Amino acid sequence: MTPAVVKNSFGRYAGVAESLQSGGMEPNMLSLAGLSRAFGDTRAVDRVSLDIPEGQFVGVIGPSGAGKSTLLRLINRLVEPTEGRIRFGARDVTGLRGRALREWRRDCAMIFQQFNLVERLDVLTNVLVGRIADHGLLSSMAMRFSDAERTLAFHALDRLGLAHKALERAGNLSGGQQQRVAIARALVQRPRVMLADEPIASLDPGNATRVMDALRRINREDGLTVLVNLHTLDTARAYCDRIVAMRAGRVMFDGTARQLTPDVVRDLYGTDGLAEIDEAVTSTSLRRLEPA
Amino acid sequence: MSRTDHTLPPRPGRLRNRLFWIGFLALFGWCLYDFGFSPQRIWQGLGRLGNVLSFMFPPHLWTEWVQIREILQGLGETLAMAFLGTLLGALVAFPLSFLGARTINRMGWLRFGLRRGFDVIRAFETLILALIFIRAFGLGPLAGVLAIAVGEIGVLAKLYAEAIENSSARPVEGVRAAGGSVPQGIRIGLLPQVMPVLMSITLYNFESNVRSGTILGIVGAGGIGFLLSDRIGAYRWDEAWSIIILIVAMVYLIDGLSAWIRMRLIRP
Repeated sequence: MTPAVVKNSFGRYAGVAESLQSGGMEPNMLSLAGLSRAFGDTRAVDRVSLDIPEGQFVGVIGPSGAGKSTLLRLINRLVEPTEGRIRFGARDVTGLRGRALREWRRDCAMIFQQFNLVERLDVLTNVLVGRIADHGLLSSMAMRFSDAERTLAFHALDRLGLAHKALERAGNLSGGQQQRVAIARALVQRPRVMLADEPIASLDPGNATRVMDALRRINREDGLTVLVNLHTLDTARAYCDRIVAMRAGRVMFDGTARQLTPDVVRDLYGTDGLAEIDEAVTSTSLRRLEPA
Repeated sequence: MSRTDHTLPPRPGRLRNRLFWIGFLALFGWCLYDFGFSPQRIWQGLGRLGNVLSFMFPPHLWTEWVQIREILQGLGETLAMAFLGTLLGALVAFPLSFLGARTINRMGWLRFGLRRGFDVIRAFETLILALIFIRAFGLGPLAGVLAIAVGEIGVLAKLYAEAIENSSARPVEGVRAAGGSVPQGIRIGLLPQVMPVLMSITLYNFESNVRSGTILGIVGAGGIGFLLSDRIGAYRWDEAWSIIILIVAMVYLIDGLSAWIRMRLIRP
């Protein structure tokens, strides 16, 4: 029943060994140790421990309400953990406040299912929001950005094929274009980690492919660690080096796409009498639409 | 049509409905009696009203510059009072509204206190505020401006806070997730969403203050209303009518202009 690859690293960083061990660790490893978040009586995320080496493309799957979204928000510290630790290399992220927290959020960019752009502002300004962590109150009140920053933002847009939309209002763009603007915004943060919360859940297959391809290119060309929540299994299989499956707040599978067998999938989604889960049913990929 | 053949039970609301209408008509009749309405009085009144209306034709045309200037000054003063009062009210209401918005201010007791404060201010009709300020600051436009400003603080702060609460939290989350501080999230994620709405609300209230500004003059708080009450008091109905026509024209113009601007503002 339990897949062989489930990692259990509870207590790995406990006690004195912690400081010694972090010295020998990979410099930009993202480590979660016993990370939990409770909302009232429900534990949305329940003692999750994961080590994610730099440059890995990790997909997080699981049924709705499994805690995938909360997990990502915990890492970015948009949600406060109730227990456990988050480390990035030698840096303990768990207790960061103020300036240091803002810098962590800059280093750990996030894109969202609903893009979270400011629709009334133009595309370039939306991308420049990625520079906000380095701005004081006064310059951001006037929304003034330097020429170097504007150039950086324009290049990021160009990389995502949206340079020609730079001066349009973000709200006038299609969903797929808005998500790529959000990726450009994340890129100008010059992050080390990219978190993506259901980035393709509101997109049609063509745009979904474009967005996932963009994430893969960033992962390969810039060596960014990518952590993406997905609800389409075949997308996870196609793009991710590693798949982490969550259920009821816990990690119940951690391995490669090949190790994610139909048995594991059944366990994960609790198919209640369904003979098998046809991954093509929920698929948003283009390849599946072609006759086999 | 009905597939069941047993009769419907009597509607329980029938009796209550009948009692309501009887009570309503009784109240209406008593009011008419108590205020001394009689067909005779109405008829006499209509006759005098016709008299007053007849002064409208021909309307009075001012020929001397001194008189024209007085009227124009009055109209301008009413406009200026409405403008300044609304602006001052808006300037105070803007920061207060953030503290009164559930999505911004998490301190329940402060928010609740402020909201109730807005309610208390709104309970005062501008006219009553004007009478109070005339006692304190004397006759003239200053009392009128202050009356409008104070009244607007209550109204605008409430409306602004509601607009802020109805905005989307997503853009703010986007800014925060990129490393923005709370004020940066508000400035970049929230203000572009709500500013057009706030401007539109403010313009609408300016319109309505131009209208109520004429009344303020009648109690002595400056503006064209003062000239109007002066002419009525002196039985110079032809002049009074010309002033009323000018007020209507000004209000009509401001309404149209402001409606046009508001349309352009809130266009997505």
